[in-house]
Amino acid sequence: MDRRSFIKSTALITGGTMVGPSAFISKSQSNKRLTILHTNDTHSNIDPFPANHAKYPGKGGVAKRFDLIQKIRVEEEHVLLVDAGDIFQGTPYFNKFGGVLEMKLMTELGYEAATMGNHDFDGGMDGFKKAQAYAKFPFLCSNYDFQNTLLDGLTQDHMVIDKAGIKVGLFGLGVKLKGLVPDNKFLETKYLDPIEIATDQVKQLQKKNCDLIICLSHLGYSYKDDKRMSDLLLAANTSGIHMIIGGHTHTFLDKPSEVSNKEGNTVLVNQVGWAGVNLGRVDFEFDKQCFSKKESLLVQ
Amino acid sequence: MKQLILIGLLLCVLACQPHYQISAHSESIPVVQAGMPDNHIDSLIKPYQIELSQEMDEVIAYALQDFTKGRPNGSLNNWSASAVRTHQTKQFETKEPVMVLLNVGGLRNPINKGDVTVGDIYKLMPFDNDVVWVKLPSGTLAKIQAYLAESGGEPIAGATMNNGKLELDEGQLSESFWVITSDYLMNGGDRMDFFQDRIEFRYADILLRDLFIEVAKEQETLVYSDEERIKDK
Repeated sequence: MDRRSFIKSTALITGGTMVGPSAFISKSQSNKRLTILHTNDTHSNIDPFPANHAKYPGKGGVAKRFDLIQKIRVEEEHVLLVDAGDIFQGTPYFNKFGGVLEMKLMTELGYEAATMGNHDFDGGMDGFKKAQAYAKFPFLCSNYDFQNTLLDGLTQDHMVIDKAGIKVGLFGLGVKLKGLVPDNKFLETKYLDPIEIATDQVKQLQKKNCDLIICLSHLGYSYKDDKRMSDLLLAANTSGIHMIIGGHTHTFLDKPSEVSNKEGNTVLVNQVGWAGVNLGRVDFEFDKQCFSKKESLLVQ
Repeated sequence: MKQLILIGLLLCVLACQPHYQISAHSESIPVVQAGMPDNHIDSLIKPYQIELSQEMDEVIAYALQDFTKGRPNGSLNNWSASAVRTHQTKQFETKEPVMVLLNVGGLRNPINKGDVTVGDIYKLMPFDNDVVWVKLPSGTLAKIQAYLAESGGEPIAGATMNNGKLELDEGQLSESFWVITSDYLMNGGDRMDFFQDRIEFRYADILLRDLFIEVAKEQETLVYSDEERIKDK
């Protein structure tokens, strides 16, 4: 059922009372399904690795990623493609063209959101701004305060996307820049506490009636120093997030980690290495429940 | 119609706080050709690829064996740090001793045995880091020593570390010394906080990568050294 007819029937049944589309689902309607595809730390790897590469011979490459995504789009009606940062730096494509090709290609592949990684500052904020002009998708950065910088107003905290009648709320979190990125590349950008910001972002997205809340994170999967902010820490110390799509530590996970959040609900934390060697895929199924307790996430 | 509305209202009341039971199935898919008929992405990349390969495929030197990075030492550590020292001390003269300090993390790819192309040096040093000279008070040498002991080793030239003691090749008679490094490290990268002690600094007006390219061209056959510059850290 497409969204328009869905709203129409909802309005009819409820006689116009604004309960919202999620208030009604007929028994006969099958579960809704949304496929999320994600990458992280692609690092300007436009071409596949060479056939004689020690670790990833012939793997990756944007054209092949497009091919794979197109195949999934044929099979699945509702697909959401996102990236968790460090789009720039790693091959001469970035040095020579400043990230323009990366942005053009991501737009062409149909990315709908991304967050900024530390290497996305490598061309300076003016460099990012120039390349970003070629991106037709938003950058979600909720814990960088860009006031008094060139990037002020060019990113957004979060977004809500309607897919299959499901309201998906997305927000982005970045890693602490000091010591990782030269001061002159991020200037007056302020880094704000990820847990505080995430808590606030979730609240805002819940107010907008999001059914699924996803965090695009460039914090890193986990660290030896267990006080250093990471996706696993974030997941355990917040509530309301269903999935964290991570990056930065180039961690290859076959399956997302399942973390119990502050309320004891499961959060999925995923990351797919780097360089576009793998594509992450999560198929969410949404089954309307009226009488069970608060939200939960079943992992198959 | 009225009945429908009534049923609807009833449903709403009964429906309490409706929400979704969400279930998830996940996988990580290797990016391989899926065989879809239209792939216009290749043609989008092509012009960029051609422009790039003209420059990157140029062979500039030869490597008799693999140059790899390591901790505490590595042949790539030695080659890169010595390249900076040789290149820079030819251009600038100083009264004070000069050492080079780079970072293992910044050497992004080995140099493989065989032909060395411009592209290989880009892979080794993809970052657009500038070469900088940083003048430090002699007391700061102990901080660098502590850093090297902690990190397990970084590329150095013009200095050696023996039994936990870092010594400059040219001795340390003066009150200060110079460290040639990258602007990334000078500006707080990799937490090399000792660069905050700097008395002054000067940009050498060359990117680290371009320096490597110039040195490789000059050497023709890359100079290999597996010397242990950091011993018993």
